[in-house]
Amino acid sequence: MAKLTIDGKEIEVPDGTRLFDACREARGGRDLPHFCYHPDLSIAGVCRLCQVEIEGMPKLTIACNTIVRDGMVVHTTSKRVNQAVTQVLEMHLINHPVDCPICDQAGECGLQDQYMDYGLYESEVEKTDKVLKKKAKVIGPHVILDQERCVLCARCTRFCEEVTGTGELGIYNRGDRAEIDVAPGVELDNNYSLNTVDICPVGALTSRDFRFQKRVWLLKSTSSVCNGCATGCNVRVDHEGGRIYRLKPRRNDEVNGPWMCDKGRMTYKDVHREDRLDRVLVRREGELQPISWAEGRQELLGAVKPGGVGYVLADPGRSLEELVLIQRLATELVGEEPMAGGVSDDGHDEGDDLLLSADRRPNRKALAWLDFAEKPAEALAGELSGASGVLLVFGGDPLAHQALADAASRMRVVYLGTHRTATAEAADVVVPLSMWAEKDALWVNKQGRIQRGQRAVLPPGDAREDWRVLVDLLQSIGHDPEVAGLPALRRLVAARLELEDENLLNRLPEGGYAPPRLADAPTGGR
Amino acid sequence: MSYKGLPDVVTTRRRNLLESAYFTEIARGLAVTGRHLIRNLFNTDKMPTVQYPDQKRDYGPRFRGRHRLTQREDGSPRCVACMMCSTVCPADCIEIIAGEHPDPTIEKYSKEFNIDLLRCVYCGLCEEACPCDAIRMDTGIYEIAAETREAFVVNKDFLLNNDKDGTL
Amino acid sequence: MLAIVLEATAKIGFMFALIMGLVPVLIWAERKGSAFIQDRTGPNRAGVLGIRLAGLIHPIADVIKLLAKEDVVPAMRHKFLYALAPMLVMIVAMSTYAVIPFGDYIMIGGEKIELIVADLEVGMLFVLAIASLGTYGVALGGWASNSKYTFLGSLRATASMISYEITMGLAIMGLFLIFGTFRLTDIVAGQGDLIWGWLPKWGIIVQPLGFLLFIASVYAETNRTPFDMSERDSEIVAGYHTEYSSLKFALFFMAEYAHMVVAAALIAVLFFGGYQIPWLPRPVLEANAGAMLTGGLIAGGIVLGIIAWAFFRRARREKGWYNDAREREPGFLGSVCVVLALVNLGALGLQPWAISELGASLYATFAQIGAFVIKVAFFSWLFIWVRWTVPSFRYDQVMRLGWQIMLPAGLVNLLVTALWVFAVHQP
Ligand code: SF4
Ligand code: SF4
Ligand code: SF4
Ligand code: SF4
Ligand code: FES
Repeated sequence: MAKLTIDGKEIEVPDGTRLFDACREARGGRDLPHFCYHPDLSIAGVCRLCQVEIEGMPKLTIACNTIVRDGMVVHTTSKRVNQAVTQVLEMHLINHPVDCPICDQAGECGLQDQYMDYGLYESEVEKTDKVLKKKAKVIGPHVILDQERCVLCARCTRFCEEVTGTGELGIYNRGDRAEIDVAPGVELDNNYSLNTVDICPVGALTSRDFRFQKRVWLLKSTSSVCNGCATGCNVRVDHEGGRIYRLKPRRNDEVNGPWMCDKGRMTYKDVHREDRLDRVLVRREGELQPISWAEGRQELLGAVKPGGVGYVLADPGRSLEELVLIQRLATELVGEEPMAGGVSDDGHDEGDDLLLSADRRPNRKALAWLDFAEKPAEALAGELSGASGVLLVFGGDPLAHQALADAASRMRVVYLGTHRTATAEAADVVVPLSMWAEKDALWVNKQGRIQRGQRAVLPPGDAREDWRVLVDLLQSIGHDPEVAGLPALRRLVAARLELEDENLLNRLPEGGYAPPRLADAPTGGR
Repeated sequence: MSYKGLPDVVTTRRRNLLESAYFTEIARGLAVTGRHLIRNLFNTDKMPTVQYPDQKRDYGPRFRGRHRLTQREDGSPRCVACMMCSTVCPADCIEIIAGEHPDPTIEKYSKEFNIDLLRCVYCGLCEEACPCDAIRMDTGIYEIAAETREAFVVNKDFLLNNDKDGTL
Repeated sequence: MLAIVLEATAKIGFMFALIMGLVPVLIWAERKGSAFIQDRTGPNRAGVLGIRLAGLIHPIADVIKLLAKEDVVPAMRHKFLYALAPMLVMIVAMSTYAVIPFGDYIMIGGEKIELIVADLEVGMLFVLAIASLGTYGVALGGWASNSKYTFLGSLRATASMISYEITMGLAIMGLFLIFGTFRLTDIVAGQGDLIWGWLPKWGIIVQPLGFLLFIASVYAETNRTPFDMSERDSEIVAGYHTEYSSLKFALFFMAEYAHMVVAAALIAVLFFGGYQIPWLPRPVLEANAGAMLTGGLIAGGIVLGIIAWAFFRRARREKGWYNDAREREPGFLGSVCVVLALVNLGALGLQPWAISELGASLYATFAQIGAFVIKVAFFSWLFIWVRWTVPSFRYDQVMRLGWQIMLPAGLVNLLVTALWVFAVHQP
């Protein structure tokens, strides 16, 4: 332990701590001004903004590259420090275009923040004297570069070297002509390229997908969990007016650190896809026709009757609560055997060794926990051809498999799902469900960590909270689970998982919870 | 604030018997109103009323009338779709859809720019907020009428050519 | 028989025309008067071919508008009572006129016809009885609309009407004692006398306190300011007729003015001598008919001439103001005045100074009817004038005034009058 005094405040931190982090602690969580320091990257020490005054040292020192020493006396707000920071900032701004009105970073820009804290001076540089560089240069499928706005903090280059190991970005030229660029013929197209946009403290690297879509100060953020794969990266859903505009990673050192992959970031598009289901559809005269929710509910309750249902199919894309309820419903309707947690052939793709998992379903682990077995398409087809009556499908798209579609053709298909999939086209009754960002739900990632995603936007049209539909179905067949709200539902789930504390799922810690009995040895996302 | 001829502080006192009887006070009131009535009856022309469509009041140059979008020297709209105006607008009546400008030095421009004049409260915050002097309310137009609600939502073309006699 | 029917029809027709003619004029006076009182110009836009008559066309436009408007009704109303209420209000307002004498008598073909629709023995009691029926229209209208605003409005209206009915009855009780009759014709006739040879024996002279009590309570009865708590816009929207629209609303609206006219007529009849012209009793009128008629015609001609001159001056001044049909108005009105003045003066050619006896009698009758109409018009105007002068009372103030001040005052008044009458007529 090292004892040091920062701004007159004495604190004690473990040996080896960076002075930068110690300052944050002493300053009540307030960071020193900085561009280049990033806890998950190596130290560059190039922006010179984090200068502090250490007694006994003749010059100011950068805090990010200093390790604390016992007995250090540090000043972060002295006149000397403030003056130095202002001058460094002025230097950063010499060639900066200050085109905040058209810059997507405005509102979450390090330069703007720093200027409000330390700047507020009149510029001495004529607009016409600035060194001009390339603007709006597309450098990859997701990222667009504005060299003029860059402050050369080298976060992006370090990321590409140290995290992805791809090294597409580099700093070229010297002096005030130095600029970030990709080598000729190279594109920034690794699956993590948008993280450079996140870490870029200014508007030099911006997302092509989010470009000009919304000013960031208008967005509201909701914490959720990415549904793109089994890793379950923690995300922040940025939305406004019922529309999601972007996903940003939320730090969870147990799962994804501060990063997430580009594929995952684009999953929000499925929420607003054209073919979302928003009305109940029933087949009349061979066509699927929309009907009102009240009618549709009758249709659904009429179809889902004990004895009438021949087979129940779930999907690992449904949330933990839903899977518990579906399993219960299936047991009541068809008994132990004729049900499956999904088609085991579905939802696999190539993964990588960073975050993206080959398992592209967010909740497979939950199926395993519930002994809700997935079955291969072949085997399912066989079981289905033996069944009759109603085939009840919750999510997924099982009937995209030709064998299954053939086997189900004799059955009446009732599909509860989110998109107009092949299964929906083959169904007789289609009920809209909500997607991950539209409900408060629990997800179990591949480590066996239960994480909570909150509701960011409302589901479209007649779609509603899925668990309420399931509870309604259970009630109609006379097996009321007696859950009036989410807390009761989560207690039910906790009981099903035999967790020690029945309210555990109602006060899940920020980073999720991995029940030691159920989880495998934590593999770690990274 | 004090008004001409009126005391700053008004003290109340108990009414005397005659005043409490109300009828004499009513008579006095009737005399006051009657005086106004007679005076105005024989002086219809000196009434302060502005006979609106026939007469119009002159407003100062700072009067905030219907908005217009200004143009650069080359005639292209100055607006860069920064959304400052729509952010600051208390009535939330400016709708802007930004687009990528073919000229990379301009970069961003407003593909669509709609103002719902029915919702606008003419506070002038939008012109105050604009960093590019792209929106102004100096047309002096205050007669804003249309036959449908939709017609009050004016688009970019309209705002760019919003001269003195532009009607909805 | 036919003669009686004809006679009754003619009298009813006159009364009806008087009310229906006064209502739009009152509406106009209300708007224009309030405007002038508040230094505004008031309605001056609606016009026919540029003729606007200072806003007199507006009530006509209003009627057309109300006739053409959609009748919006609340879904949960009581259908029958909802439709009944406005009719009831209007019927009550109109039927009171039956017992109001609007003139003395008229000689037609040697027959003397009383100028009153129904000369009831208990005339004034009839008025009181009918007036209390008016409460039903208001109460039903407010209740049947099934809305909180109308309900509160009718509650207040009913409360004030019922409270002040008592005072109203008490206030005129003194008059009955003095004139010894309920019959309105007798009361009016009695007011033709002079006290001490120079003071007209009007109700207001013999019953000053009674007059004040009566006028206050008829204001409350008609729900006019300062007792207009049943339709206070800022609290309960339009009160009991909030949910009415189109013609039904028009009925409520007109009934309010019809009520005003009847109240004004009652004030005139009970306290201002009805059709009596002070110091000019009928015999005097008949005797001097020729001279008065001649003088009247000449004076009328001169006044019309002055008005015409004013119009022409205005026409000259307003030239180029509007550049449309409105510019023709003063010139047109001026010409009309000139024509009327000429007619007036031309009538002198008929030698009005040598009028026949029948003519003199007719003249006297019409002069008295004219006096009555003028009095009614003035008191109707007073309603309007007061409304734009005084602020309204609060509900509790209305109730306190009614029960704690006016009622005892009425009783005292009655007692004093009774003692006085007893003393004078001591057998
Ligand atoms: S990077 Fe920051 S300071 Fe620069 S233009 Fe963008 S928002 Fe403005
Ligand atoms: S592009 Fe952004 S992250 Fe990269 S060096 Fe420039 S400012 Fe830093
Ligand atoms: S004047 Fe005010 S209300 Fe109207 S558009 Fe501008 S900011 Fe909005
Ligand atoms: S503030 Fe000015 S530049 Fe920005 S969007 Fe509005 S009008 Fe356009
Ligand atoms: S943060 Fe320390 S030098 Fe950039």
